Amino acid sequence: MDPLEEPPSRAAALSFPGRLAVAVTVGAVAVAALYHLAMMFLHVAPSNTLSKEHAAAVNDYVYPEFEQNWKLFAPDPLQQNIHVEARAELDKPGGTVATSAWVDLTGRDIAAMRHDPVPSHSQQNELRRAWGFYSDTHDTQEQATGGDRSDLSRSYLLRIVEKRFGTRYEGGRVARIQIRVATTDVPQPSWIAGANSPSTQFRQLPWWPVDTTASGQENAS
Amino acid sequence: MSAPHSHLADDRADSAAATAGTAPFALWSAGLDRAFARGLRRVTGSALAPYQSAVVRIGFALVQLLFLLREFPHRDELYGPGSPWGLDLARRLIAGNHAFTVLLWSDSRAWFEIVYALSTVSAVTLLLGWRTRTSSLIFMVGVLSLQNRNVFMGDGGDNVIHIMAIYLLFTRCAQVWSLDHRRTVRAAAAAAAKAGTEAGTEAEAGAGRKAAAEAGTEARAEAAPQAGTATEDRNRAGARVPRAADLDPVGIALWAVLGAGLVAATLAGKLSTGWATAFWACWIGQAVWWAVRRYAPGEPRTVLETMGDIVHNGAMLVIVAEVCLIYSTAGWYKIQGSRWQDGTALYYPLHLDDFTPWPALSHALAGNDVMVMLITYGTVIVQVAFPFTLFNRRVKNVLLACMMLEHASIALILGLPFFSLAMIAADAVFLPTGFLRWLAQRIAGAVRGPRAPEPARVRDSGAAGLPEPAAGPPPAGAVAGPS
Repeated sequence: MDPLEEPPSRAAALSFPGRLAVAVTVGAVAVAALYHLAMMFLHVAPSNTLSKEHAAAVNDYVYPEFEQNWKLFAPDPLQQNIHVEARAELDKPGGTVATSAWVDLTGRDIAAMRHDPVPSHSQQNELRRAWGFYSDTHDTQEQATGGDRSDLSRSYLLRIVEKRFGTRYEGGRVARIQIRVATTDVPQPSWIAGANSPSTQFRQLPWWPVDTTASGQENAS
Repeated sequence: MSAPHSHLADDRADSAAATAGTAPFALWSAGLDRAFARGLRRVTGSALAPYQSAVVRIGFALVQLLFLLREFPHRDELYGPGSPWGLDLARRLIAGNHAFTVLLWSDSRAWFEIVYALSTVSAVTLLLGWRTRTSSLIFMVGVLSLQNRNVFMGDGGDNVIHIMAIYLLFTRCAQVWSLDHRRTVRAAAAAAAKAGTEAGTEAEAGAGRKAAAEAGTEARAEAAPQAGTATEDRNRAGARVPRAADLDPVGIALWAVLGAGLVAATLAGKLSTGWATAFWACWIGQAVWWAVRRYAPGEPRTVLETMGDIVHNGAMLVIVAEVCLIYSTAGWYKIQGSRWQDGTALYYPLHLDDFTPWPALSHALAGNDVMVMLITYGTVIVQVAFPFTLFNRRVKNVLLACMMLEHASIALILGLPFFSLAMIAADAVFLPTGFLRWLAQRIAGAVRGPRAPEPARVRDSGAAGLPEPAAGPPPAGAVAGPS
């Protein structure tokens, strides 16, 4: 400590080992805090010279507990309404097979959230993020592009839909499920010239047999 | 840019030559030394920003508590054994990313219910500042366990709670507005009263009471961000407190229970090396802290207090910088988007089904083209500008109010109450001390009403007896609010 005009600090009154401990702590905390912040910066900033060069070190440090994403409604907000819909193939008593009508599962969630000041994550995030996970790990031909993650996303999406139907639906046993996703552009603002007229596009997934490992939990909504 | 700078340098060089006759570099270096020494004294002197760290603690504990209560009916679907994100899927994902969650330790429903309940309880105890060090650890374990059990359920709000739960562990966030603080004040008051009646031959009970009140003031001053004398007070109080009171049976019991849990988890091989090291370090640290307080109230205690304060100050720096990073990235990514540039970005979320719980309200707002543009531009301006406004207190406070207001609107209009509350809790780290104390007095007054129980009066007298500047109005131009 320099002999300055100001009153002596708390640490200045300590013995040498005490001051050493304090000094080491200051150094360690300063290094740790700055290193942490540098890693956080490189993680959240757009991909750049430094973050590419040190990608491995940054990822090792950040994942899994400091992962973050602040691209909230950015660079551009989502401009489509995406609804997950599904139908079931039902084994009816007497050996007949029937196919149910399409059910707008996202639409049900939205109806449940209407006028609720505190929507549940199970309504607001579950299907939306499960579909995001699936579409991030599959191409439009429904081929896996993400290894085991693709498989996980497929199982997750299927189990969510299964749970919504329950094991029995419309008097039959649910044997297979098909999912389709309806994407509708949000109509452009009325004050923009040449506003688009929205149409709905469907992406239809193959029929999937129900996931037997997930059955046993009956919780149809 | 260079012209005014060199002009300033010339001025300084002139004055340096006039006063000391030394080379300008020597003066600069002396100035740098002094600034460095001042900074060092500040970070080693005390745990800075006691009110801001407390409000962040209360804010995040409250958000998590409300979230857990809200999701109670959906808890199994979100994180339980019955979730569509089954234990088998979660295990496969976590085998790859090694995220921490105690929920995969057992498949049983009972285990899940215990973890959910403990998570909720820890949110309450952290909110109240009861055994804060332990509460903050269990709180973090709860937050990480639930969120990592099913990462596909979260949004930005969960993300910020996740990170802040880790940071809070390193802060001394119960220096004010906590049961821990109240206990410290009471212990000091009791010790002072006892010392008063023992020492003073003609000491009446009234004098003892007075001494108790004074001790309360002292203990409160300890919480204020003051260096120097606070430590001496603390040491004197420590020496005065009878050992029986310092034994802290509740703390020891809590510590023993956690130790048993830690032993079990370690023996069962449930903890990774990193987490095992961290938890054992916390557990041993608690014991060292207790032993030093009890048996070595002199220098060892001062050293430990100082080290704790330094870690706290580092963590507060990280929290403040993290909030700036959030706003910077949110703003900088928006600038790149064409919808944010043409001023229509706000229109789109107001037409997304997932984020319009009140469609009539959202569509009415989206239908006002000028309003949409003003809010779209305003959002980007505020987010990008915020970190830079920290250099000016007044501008910072105006922007802070804008951001909190915007988040409050988001809570309602976009149906994101937990995200918004979490962001407001993070923003609160920048609130001025004066405002926080004023708010606390208003809330305390409203809650207490006309009853005014005895312990509350002791605390009141402490607060009233404390001159206003003791809370340390931040120097103008302080880098962050928490000063």
